[in-house]
Amino acid sequence: MASISLKYKSKQGSLTAPGDVDPGAMIPIATVTVGSGGASSIEFSSIPQSYEHLQIRGLGRSTIADTNDFAIIKFNSDSGANYTYHYLRGDGTSASAQGSGYGTSDYLRSAGFISGANATAQVFGTTIIDILDYTNTNKLKTIRTLTGKDANSNNADGRVYLFSMLWGSTSAITTITLTTQANWAQYSSFALYGVKRAGA
Amino acid sequence: MAYTYSKIATYTVGSGGVSSINFLNIPQNYTDLLIKFSGRGSGTSGVMRMQFNITTAGYSNRNLYGTGSAAGSESATGTSSFFSAVNSGNINWNSTTASTFSNMEIYIPNYTSSNYKSISTDAVVENNATLGYQFMNDGVLNINAPITQIDLITSGSETFVQYSTAHLYGIKAEL
Repeated sequence: MASISLKYKSKQGSLTAPGDVDPGAMIPIATVTVGSGGASSIEFSSIPQSYEHLQIRGLGRSTIADTNDFAIIKFNSDSGANYTYHYLRGDGTSASAQGSGYGTSDYLRSAGFISGANATAQVFGTTIIDILDYTNTNKLKTIRTLTGKDANSNNADGRVYLFSMLWGSTSAITTITLTTQANWAQYSSFALYGVKRAGA
Repeated sequence: MAYTYSKIATYTVGSGGVSSINFLNIPQNYTDLLIKFSGRGSGTSGVMRMQFNITTAGYSNRNLYGTGSAAGSESATGTSSFFSAVNSGNINWNSTTASTFSNMEIYIPNYTSSNYKSISTDAVVENNATLGYQFMNDGVLNINAPITQIDLITSGSETFVQYSTAHLYGIKAEL
């Protein structure tokens, strides 16, 4: 049976979906979309160890009785005081920064600025989380997150953040858990991607 | 669906370190380039600079940064490399938490065009302390030639330490 490579085909080409399609370097691994009733956590477990980097792209809203909330991330179910955080923040009026060394659960908030239940209806916070070299056991894990939301107003409930976080472990990341200070609201959705290295 | 995000090259620093990481003979068949860089320097400066096509003039740079306790913005023009406006901390340095490496993404759109070259980066430097850096940079290089070489360079006699990694990707748009 003849096959045709899509590798160099334009969209005008013959897209016959052969078995030798090169999917490129960024591969979707899993997506979680919260249904009616919400969810207490979003978890990616048994993460394949065959990629070089991970990226999570998502949008979120929580059920907390407030305007704003933060997505909380943890790795390999580690809830200990092994996470730092730092951020650069803009709220439409001014820029600010804050950070801390290793702390407990309050410091696990580097995964997204999201809406609470009192935020403008249907507004979700967006977030992109980059985790480099997640299987490298010679490195602690540094996470970079670009996140924000707007409130269709000029108040400080609209913000953008560049977060960073250090997970003080050299373990390969196999599980990622995302929570809020309450529950995830319906339609919150997060997708996990693997990014390959050259030669992989 | 055409594939749009392709791996071009990977460099992992071995024992002994290196003073620069060089991507040579970059393919000209993509729309944009993207580099994911996880780096740490051997010395006290924590500065990684970039040069394109071995060009040593004509860079300008503007940034927004956070230090863990304050936010600010800097700019510079007429510099010899990209990142010259940032004089500390765009990669981990030797007194930051051991085994900690920066997390940086460098985006170079339309790198084969005959216009000046724009560059943007997001970078973070983590540390078990109040001090930690976040950067959003944008810059331009006043050259018209397509980018065929990218050099990531440390400061002075410092090196990128073992396990630093740089990954070059090509992004192709549907045209």
